[in-house]
Amino acid sequence: MSAKANGLGRWYVIAAPYLWLLIFFLIPFFIVFKLSLSDVATAIPPYTPTFSWSEGIGKFISQLDFENYTFIFGDPLYVNAYLSSVKIAAISTVLTLLVAYPMAYGMARAPKSWQPTLMMLVILPFWTSFLIRIYAWIAILKPEGFLTMFLMKLGIISEPLQIMNTTTAVYIGIVYSYLPFMILPLYASLEKINPALLEAAQDLGSRPWRAFWQITFPLSLPGVFAGCLLVFIPAVGEFVIPDLLGGSDTLMIGKTLWNEFFNNRDWPLASAVAVILLLVLTIPIVLFQRQQQIERESGR
Amino acid sequence: MGVVTARDPQASNASSQRAGPRTAAPQSGFAPWKNPSLSPIVRFEGITKRFDDFVAVNDVTLDIYEKEFFALLGPSGCGKSTLLRMLAGFERPTQGKTIVAGQDITDLPPYQRPVNMMFQSYALFPHMTVEGNIGFGLRQEGMPKNLIAERVDEAMGMLELRQFAKRKPNQLSGGQQQRVALARAIAKKPRIVLLDEPLGALDKKLRQQAQFELMRIQETTGTTFIIVTHDQEEAMTVASRIAVMEKGVLVQVATPGDIYENPKTRYIAGFIGDVNVFEGTVSAIGDGCIEISAKDGYQFKTRSSEPVSVGQQVWLALRPEKIRIAHEQPASAVNAIPGKVEDIGYLGSISHYHVRTAPGERITALRANAAHTVERPISWEDGVWLDWPVDAGVVLTG
Repeated sequence: MSAKANGLGRWYVIAAPYLWLLIFFLIPFFIVFKLSLSDVATAIPPYTPTFSWSEGIGKFISQLDFENYTFIFGDPLYVNAYLSSVKIAAISTVLTLLVAYPMAYGMARAPKSWQPTLMMLVILPFWTSFLIRIYAWIAILKPEGFLTMFLMKLGIISEPLQIMNTTTAVYIGIVYSYLPFMILPLYASLEKINPALLEAAQDLGSRPWRAFWQITFPLSLPGVFAGCLLVFIPAVGEFVIPDLLGGSDTLMIGKTLWNEFFNNRDWPLASAVAVILLLVLTIPIVLFQRQQQIERESGR
Repeated sequence: MGVVTARDPQASNASSQRAGPRTAAPQSGFAPWKNPSLSPIVRFEGITKRFDDFVAVNDVTLDIYEKEFFALLGPSGCGKSTLLRMLAGFERPTQGKTIVAGQDITDLPPYQRPVNMMFQSYALFPHMTVEGNIGFGLRQEGMPKNLIAERVDEAMGMLELRQFAKRKPNQLSGGQQQRVALARAIAKKPRIVLLDEPLGALDKKLRQQAQFELMRIQETTGTTFIIVTHDQEEAMTVASRIAVMEKGVLVQVATPGDIYENPKTRYIAGFIGDVNVFEGTVSAIGDGCIEISAKDGYQFKTRSSEPVSVGQQVWLALRPEKIRIAHEQPASAVNAIPGKVEDIGYLGSISHYHVRTAPGERITALRANAAHTVERPISWEDGVWLDWPVDAGVVLTG
């Protein structure tokens, strides 16, 4: 009796996350997927077909087609938007890594009593709304903004900086926003490294800089990998940052998606764009999962 | 007055016997420290290390010679590891100089020193194979690949690691990891190998094996080994000389035999092996012998190498195995006291007898169980006599 209740309890625990995924991911995904197979219509809702019991499921399915997908692959605008998004996300990820690594390294090497405080400082920006922080960057980057004023006061530049509404501003925004997601996994893996390993490397004749590349960096790779994916995956679909900081030349799929939905009111095409984006992102997500698996198995 | 007992009573006996062949005949054997024409390979000159207001190492001057197996012995926190880390270059002395082979290396960084260290935690690189770990030091020198492979193979052969060459450290047992760490430390053929509590993580049986392995490697490679340990038995087993440290100060530097037989202080006498200590004052000085009036009324006659004066407070230290125990009063003993057996520790090869004397002291005597059957064995509550000759004890003044 109690064993049976126990088994049932365990089943509930296992079922909970799957139920969550079903309701909040799988069902919405199928709705979007179905939409992507529909056609645009001047109606409410703005697409056909809509399912009705009188006409039956057969007729409903026969009206669905892959027209939107062929259209997307035929139009260079969309292909370019995907490629450009991946490129911007990749470059931002590398820049974030370059900024985050020394910070995480410094945190891991700081006295133990400081580390919780430093960790707090990294997480602190999350206490303010993401949108407000991006607006703050507009105030900094615009031609008459703080950065220009500061550099002109110092006499470093004489002309106002033209950063606002360029891809550079998008890079700055992404690096700034996603920095904590890079620092935390890096810090976690750097902090685990036994300092005696570096002493051993130096003892065996390795200079500090070489010892870093031979010991510290390879041992921090799981953190590098996790951090890069945590930045890359959301950065590909980023909408707010390119919309607020980027210019007309900044082509990102998130913005294209928004335009299709709200400017063109072409829900089926926008859904198709979203489905392809999801498939593009599946590749790094699967890579990430596999890396996590390897890490767990090697017991590190 | 009291009995000072080390943690491991078996150890003292075993080591005193084992230390024999290596150190008992210093005149004929290996004793470079007695040869004034030799210069030491390592010389610490007035080394002091302060951490804030804590003095970890206090004015240590010490010479270590080529091919020695030198042990730094002391309880944890005595500064022995700090001294070793200063030789490796991980710590910089606050004062003093470190000289290796005539060259002042005090300011050299670790990667330029002719020493390699085996770490207490082994510090094996987890992302490299056994081969990769052992060859790490050689790769830093830019040695050709085939030469590296040769040297790595040699080191692996010496420590029976060949079948593990492709494994990662986390796929090895503790004993295997320990051997990889040692192989890595000797692979570069450094002039000096430093060992920081190298066997601390092994269980007792494996540790004894590993001690003999260390000695074998040290002898075959002819390298100078400096080991840091808190285990007196380990130090006695492996070392040609031992430096005993206490609170950052060198208390005595001598061969294991000398340290055991002629400890300088009560601290050393108690730290290395079991010892019975009688407190008293010098009452007479004769030809080569002195007389001591012990606090509890006994009169002892003993040889003394320490210069003492009449009336001076001294301690007579007696090793348990130097005290004879018998049922009858010995006919012609210089020093003999009666007592009652309180406890017997039977350890197979030997037995410990804890004897309570009339004034209430507890004295430990030790006897080898040489005969197969004894007609009248000494048993609990037996009245016994303890006696020892004039040259059995050591007179300590501090």
